[in-house]
Amino acid sequence: MAGMKPRHALYLYLAALPAPTFVHDPRLLALGLAAAVLCAGGERWRILKRSLLAILAFNLSVSLGVVLVGLWQGRIDSGWLLVANLRVLLMVFLGFWFVARVDLLAALAGWPTATLLATLAMGQTRSFERMLKDFRLAFASRNIVRPSLLDRRRHAGAQAVALLDKAQAQSAEVALAMRSRGAFD
Amino acid sequence: MHIPDGFLSPQTWLPAAVIALGAWAWAARGLRSALDETLVPRLAMLTALAYGLGLIMLPLPGGTSGHALGVAMLALLFGLRLAFLAYSGVLLLQALLFGAGGLTALPINALAMGLAGGATAVATFRLLRGFNETVAVAVAAWLSVIVPGALVAFVLGLQPLIATKPDGSPLFFPFGIEITLPAILVPHVFIGLGEAALTLLVWRYARMRKWRA
Repeated sequence: MAGMKPRHALYLYLAALPAPTFVHDPRLLALGLAAAVLCAGGERWRILKRSLLAILAFNLSVSLGVVLVGLWQGRIDSGWLLVANLRVLLMVFLGFWFVARVDLLAALAGWPTATLLATLAMGQTRSFERMLKDFRLAFASRNIVRPSLLDRRRHAGAQAVALLDKAQAQSAEVALAMRSRGAFD
Repeated sequence: MHIPDGFLSPQTWLPAAVIALGAWAWAARGLRSALDETLVPRLAMLTALAYGLGLIMLPLPGGTSGHALGVAMLALLFGLRLAFLAYSGVLLLQALLFGAGGLTALPINALAMGLAGGATAVATFRLLRGFNETVAVAVAAWLSVIVPGALVAFVLGLQPLIATKPDGSPLFFPFGIEITLPAILVPHVFIGLGEAALTLLVWRYARMRKWRA
């Protein structure tokens, strides 16, 4: 995806993503995964680690279920375990590779409504994360000893209202900035 | 209750994608005229809240996850179409940024959680509003978790029936409805209570701030 226009990278990603759902041979899926890892460049191990962590909980719970059922029935379907885990890993890897290489907003640039929604959602998400961190640090700094349950409940209530107010004020600013640029015309 | 990528057969996600595209086109009709600088900040704020809620998830043995949705508060405050679009955006971002869900699973996830969840919330609220508004919001929110949970369980449980090898073993999700339904619904009965409490909180906040509702 290096050097590719964001829109073209998006099309390539959308074309490649469904392919693993049509493949049931573990060798082909492993080959696809190896090719994707190889092509992902310097960030390949970080993306692979991120992908593994993202699927770990879900795939582990399903795989353990399959193993337990297999033990109970006296036959573990190791082929299914291999295919399912390789398929999911490959699909998640492709997604993270795409996001690591391509600016999503640039890829959506030709679709104003999608850009509008993505800008608002991503902007809000980032400001929520920042605000939650600020609130947590401020609360911790104001309490030398561990606060009581009642104090924590009051703080949580006040924090929730303040957070919603602050988030609305911030997104109002974003909306005004977007209006001045003709986003609602 | 996101279904991850790779667990759904093309026989499932391809028709679902066609239905979802139609539903997104329906929901997006007249969207730009509906959005203004008053509505957008509110929608953006609650969409971000729904996004955050969806990320606090527990993996369930039924092949999906347990988490609050936030779709009821979106649907009750902004209507079904906006809620469906906003929640689809949430699911898209969660899939791309965190690998929670996925793009091939997006149509099913969006139709179940965004459309069916939102429609259930709106219909239940309208039905019960005359009785008691607080009860109506709470029940609407609870059902907006249960109905999508049942749909997701049904779709996952169908996989061993519709996509199998010649020997009958599953190609995609391996467990049937008899496993997925209780595995997904039982935790969501309790998660729905949290969703009801949160939706009531946001509902009261919206009334306090004199939003249209």
